[in-house]
Amino acid sequence: MIGILGSEWYKLQKSKAIFLLFAGPIAGLLIGLVVDINLLPGEAINKWHLALLSMNLNYALLFLPLITGVFASMICRYEHQAGGWKQLLAMPVTRGKVFIAKYLLLVTVILGMQILYLGSVFVVGIVHGITDPFPMVIVWKSILGGWIATFPLVALQLGISIMWKSFAAPFAVNVCFTLPAILAINSDRFGPYYPWAQPFSMMYIGGNTEDVFFIPWDQLLTVVGGSFLIFFICGYLYFQRKAV
Amino acid sequence: MIGKLVAQDVLKIKRKGIWFLTFLGPFGVVALQMVNYGVRKAYLLQQSDDDWAYYISNVSAFSPFALILGIAILTSFMASIENETNGWKQLTALPVSKMAIYLSKFTVLVMLLFLSSILLALFSLSYGVFLNLGDEIPYLELLKYSIYPFLASLPVLALQLWVATVSKNQGIPITVGVFGVILSYSAYVLPDWMIWKWPSLLNQWNEPMINVLFGLTFGAILYVIGMVDFMRRDVK
Amino acid sequence: MEYIVETNQLTKRFGKEIAVDRVDMRIPKGEIYGFLGPNGAGKTTTIRMLLGLMKPSFGSVQVFQKFLNEDRLNILKKVGSLVENPSYYPHLTAYENLEALRKVYGIPKSSITEVLELVRLSDVGNKKVKGFSLGMKQRLGIASALLHNPELLILDEPTNGLDPSGIIEIRNLIKRLPAERGITILISSHLLSEIDQIATTVGVLNKGHLIFQDTIERMREYSKQKVLLSVSDREHAWQSLVAAGIKAELHNGMISLKEKSDEKVAQAVRSLVHNDFSIYRVEEEKGSLEGIFLEMTTEEKSL
Ligand SMILES: Nc1ncnc2c1ncn2[C@@H]1O[C@H](COP(=O)(O)OP(=O)(O)OP(=O)(O)O)[C@@H](O)[C@H]1O
Ligand SMILES: [Mg+2]
Repeated sequence: MIGILGSEWYKLQKSKAIFLLFAGPIAGLLIGLVVDINLLPGEAINKWHLALLSMNLNYALLFLPLITGVFASMICRYEHQAGGWKQLLAMPVTRGKVFIAKYLLLVTVILGMQILYLGSVFVVGIVHGITDPFPMVIVWKSILGGWIATFPLVALQLGISIMWKSFAAPFAVNVCFTLPAILAINSDRFGPYYPWAQPFSMMYIGGNTEDVFFIPWDQLLTVVGGSFLIFFICGYLYFQRKAV
Repeated sequence: MIGKLVAQDVLKIKRKGIWFLTFLGPFGVVALQMVNYGVRKAYLLQQSDDDWAYYISNVSAFSPFALILGIAILTSFMASIENETNGWKQLTALPVSKMAIYLSKFTVLVMLLFLSSILLALFSLSYGVFLNLGDEIPYLELLKYSIYPFLASLPVLALQLWVATVSKNQGIPITVGVFGVILSYSAYVLPDWMIWKWPSLLNQWNEPMINVLFGLTFGAILYVIGMVDFMRRDVK
Repeated sequence: MEYIVETNQLTKRFGKEIAVDRVDMRIPKGEIYGFLGPNGAGKTTTIRMLLGLMKPSFGSVQVFQKFLNEDRLNILKKVGSLVENPSYYPHLTAYENLEALRKVYGIPKSSITEVLELVRLSDVGNKKVKGFSLGMKQRLGIASALLHNPELLILDEPTNGLDPSGIIEIRNLIKRLPAERGITILISSHLLSEIDQIATTVGVLNKGHLIFQDTIERMREYSKQKVLLSVSDREHAWQSLVAAGIKAELHNGMISLKEKSDEKVAQAVRSLVHNDFSIYRVEEEKGSLEGIFLEMTTEEKSL
């Protein structure tokens, strides 16, 4: 397993795909710098929340779900290109382990991106001269929570990217699921149950219970955990059966 | 000659799900409103006196970036059909100019997107009628808010086609598409010169026609730039 | 005999089409097994099943006397393969490609330089594979197959795309392996001349059926020469031979003898001379393996 992971990391690290890691955090940084947080409506207890709010909408709602799909396609691309699957699976490895290794690699990359994004939030705050104490909830809920919320999305996208050679097809599926999240987050009936809305819900730090965006943790985890299991198991089983 | 190439390209996109996506895009945009109105119709009808206008504005809140996404997906699909089958090599070995090859792809994409726009108008109309938004159906507005964004998005189409045809790695055009979507989602804060803002039909003069004219002009310019670059490059 | 590969009634169906039909393949240890068959015969499909890339519709595969579906991982540790077109990662260099594989096998790095040396790719080891020529990719494919010092090497059309000197080079390399490293080799091809020059055992597959499987010597026997007689008044000469109970055919103005032993030929000649026919020429026609191969595969009958 260590061997497969090492090999997967090696292949990714040598491809230019790894630069994608910086795209999101940089975009977030730019948005955060452009938007004047002091003009945002609402009295916040802590200005850091405002900084995050200004950056999150684009990042968590659209960018994060979409880019997970792009990453998934990227790490399958070089296998699809010139018989990579054939070669990989003719080695003494099980398909299950290959699937898990690819999955672990993906979530590690997303974690890296989340950490970079945290850096962006920090820079935005410094540039805007925020003096309030840095709320650690940003780290726990936004960064790690948002990361965990992508787990089911990653599983689904990995499965689809293994299935289809082209980039456009998995992306189209991803888009079809991501767009409704824009509506879902505004609905307290559907929002909590819609997996593609979870990265946003997790990354959002509103505070009090009356807030429309507030969703209890355990509920989130049930939705995320449940959809993760479904997507992961489907992808895993599909890969077992796939003819190469 | 170009007619034959277009016919060939239309043949090539068979069974790739492209027609389905052309249908799905406008359907999805209206379906989101079906959910929206289905869940809180009473509330939404209260929001304004002109229910049709308000409904159209709801639909067109989504159509611009559905369009941008559609463009990214369709262009990448078109390019990968050739990439996956070594088709560029075969195409350029035919007695046709590279210019015609590029134009043919562009034409097919324009046709597909135009079809999408018309479907959007039809779907919005049907659901609007179903909602019973009033007897005075604003046909012109419906058509306008379906076709204008499409015309205003031509520069994005030209750009995406360019990137997709010259990239070996389709991750590049898709990533460009992701950024385009994010930009168009934040259209209201974007400066007027950004092409991703145009499909939203917003501008400081409040005149959608300006976006359409910009779209046509810069669409043509970007198209030529992309084509010249495509012709200049070696075939992969 | 110790078989390295043994399949039993191996069958693969794609929908209604049967690509591989009840194949009993036997590859003895240390042999170079030439797997012959025309395009679409099912060679690649069989090889995919040997590697567990595809599940058989019916039948079983044993490699190193273990069942593939039970011991796949242990078996694959000792198998190197090159299936159809060479597999590679275009964005990596030749060295890096092997490194990505090496990490999975968990073997020392020295093996990379070793195999690169073996297939003569050391000079371009640091070049991205997407810039490789077809032949260089093929060599890299062979290097990947040899990387972990396998005991069984499965090569599907390995000389595809190689230039003549490359073919000879690879051929010599393949020939050396059984002796030097004790490797058993399965090599598929649709070219008989190719197999003829390296194989020690041959299996011929046609339309999914294994129609011949034996040593190369036995295969050559089928292609033994014909004996042709050029005579005067050949119609009558032929009739007299047949009347005398000698199996012969009239062919392109020559009489061809079916039984080729010295004795039978002598008997035929004696009979002709006795009947006053003039014998102008007695010659042997070199029957080619190609001819036999074509005969086998077109007539679709079992030998
Ligand atoms: N995945 C598949 N789905 C359907 N049919 C297949 C599939 N793979 C192979 N076949 C069919 O099985 C038959 C055997 O194919 P195979 O690739 O094994 O031939 P081959 O002997 O390797 O030929 P070649 O010399 O051309 O490489 C062919 O008729 C082919 O159409
Ligand atoms: Mg084959």
